[in-house]
Amino acid sequence: MTGITLAVPSKGRLEELTREWFSQNGMTITRPGGARSYLGAVEGMPEVTVRFFPASEIARELIRGTIDIGVTGRDLIHETSEHGPSAVSFAKPLGFGNADVVVAVPDSWIDVTHMHDLADVASDFRARHGRWMRIATKYITITRQHFAKAGIAEYRTVESLGATEAAPASGVADIVVDITTTGSTLAANGLRVLEDGVMLQSEACLIVSRTADRSADSQTQLETFLAKLGTTAHI
Amino acid sequence: MDPGLRRRDTEFGESNLHQGRYPMTGAALRRANLESLVEAQGATRATPPLLLSADPYFDLAGEEFGRRLLLTTDATGAEHCLRPDFTLPIVQSYIADGVGRPAAFSYMGPIFRQREIGPAEFDQAGIELLAQPNGDIALDQVLTFARAALSIFGVVPHVRLGGVGLFEALLVQADMPDAWRPRIRNRFGHTEALDRLLTRLEAAPDMPREQQPSRDALIEDITAQMVAAGLSLSEGRTPEEIADRYLEQQALDAAHVPAATLKLLRDYLAISGPVLQALTQIEALASRHRLMLGAPIRAIRRHLNGLGEARVTFDASFSPRLDYYTGIVFEMTGANGQVLASGGQYDRLLERLGATAPIAASGCSVWVDRLEAEVAQ
Repeated sequence: MTGITLAVPSKGRLEELTREWFSQNGMTITRPGGARSYLGAVEGMPEVTVRFFPASEIARELIRGTIDIGVTGRDLIHETSEHGPSAVSFAKPLGFGNADVVVAVPDSWIDVTHMHDLADVASDFRARHGRWMRIATKYITITRQHFAKAGIAEYRTVESLGATEAAPASGVADIVVDITTTGSTLAANGLRVLEDGVMLQSEACLIVSRTADRSADSQTQLETFLAKLGTTAHI
Repeated sequence: MDPGLRRRDTEFGESNLHQGRYPMTGAALRRANLESLVEAQGATRATPPLLLSADPYFDLAGEEFGRRLLLTTDATGAEHCLRPDFTLPIVQSYIADGVGRPAAFSYMGPIFRQREIGPAEFDQAGIELLAQPNGDIALDQVLTFARAALSIFGVVPHVRLGGVGLFEALLVQADMPDAWRPRIRNRFGHTEALDRLLTRLEAAPDMPREQQPSRDALIEDITAQMVAAGLSLSEGRTPEEIADRYLEQQALDAAHVPAATLKLLRDYLAISGPVLQALTQIEALASRHRLMLGAPIRAIRRHLNGLGEARVTFDASFSPRLDYYTGIVFEMTGANGQVLASGGQYDRLLERLGATAPIAASGCSVWVDRLEAEVAQ
């Protein structure tokens, strides 16, 4: 089998920016069926099949190896699986979609400015309140990894798929781990990022799967494709 | 169960055994011997359900252990997990039956955890000794069980001992502001986190103490902030709690842990080596700093005879990251350093699970698939 698969975000601002980036780099992505179609092509490169996926599915499929190349956020690779970062090669940052995954606490927690303060608060939270400190986040894997590194084990995560910043006010959680570009949404909700609370700096990247099973032909096509974009990958 | 074992079980299977035509060999024989050892503990054989409520595990062991669970959700949305260990359900049902009487349980069967290598389903065997009148004798039985289990597989282990009780005894006597003790205890067993804390304390600059606002003013301020942000004043951290910790924190920045104490902690935590040598070093350290560590050191010495020819080391910084461990903890590793058996004393576990007072508890588990892998090597 020959040919390679490129997955790009299927909708929204991320789709526009991705297609813009490719055209600036001399590749035009076409979507013949319009926004409802999930199959596309790169002009003049018949060996490349373009698939339009939601960004989180692109991360998952890159890790599984069912697609060769994809455009998605670094955060999603880290979040989808603990083994995500080792299953892919980050070939090129694309310069958009920049955002940080951060730990934020209520402004009123004036005694908590660093992760080590959080460790102290977490350690006797249960004794004081009869429950564990709760963290609202959609980044459960990243939170677990980062908190384990910080030596904090005494907490529970509460999965939050939207409006995470509202969780402390609604009583669902005590603090949040959320993604932010400027921090203004967090600040507007009375939350403050810890001074050492940036867990991951994310941006949209061109990412190559290291787990995909490729024939020698596909491998060459992949290398050619990357070379045209002025990059290589460790695969 | 390790799929490999299952295959061998059918080859040399039980029916053949009972007909007496073929002697059991290899893996099946070792397994049967381990089964006999588990039965021979004079304990109640425990067979907790495979499907358990996930919440108690998250409550007890937190997210770090939680990510290893195999989770499933029922129609009501309640989370269940495939049995990830035997200790928790055994202890829970012991508490439900009314605590107080000494009890002993043994077990062998499959548990389920997400692992980096190896299948998520694997066998563990072990014992739990609860409310025993003599904690020393109980721990001896646990160690003897672990050694016997390993010897079925021909393993002479490296035994690594840790002293939770010893560290707690040292910490309570070391000269420092009281507020630092729980902060240090909480990081025991997490080498990097403890190192970061000690480094921070060592670097603490001699800052002039700023005039702090009064507690009442702080509380008023914090309350206003919480109300403005729509936070409940009672469901989570309260304004009083935050103000108190803030003031304590400011006081702590001024109240240094003496340099001599920090050096004592560093020196102590660095002690690791052959057990007798390590304990002698600790005794020397204790006498230099005038600490009374005789009782916890003697407790460790008492168990050494029972460990026989195994290579025994004591590692002062070794502790599981779960705060219900007390006394002595241990790990037994094989040729390639994999943990084959682990356990110890956890007198705070029953309390954490709802018992109204601390109850002596000790136990261990052995990893059956890893033991079989040792044989194959």
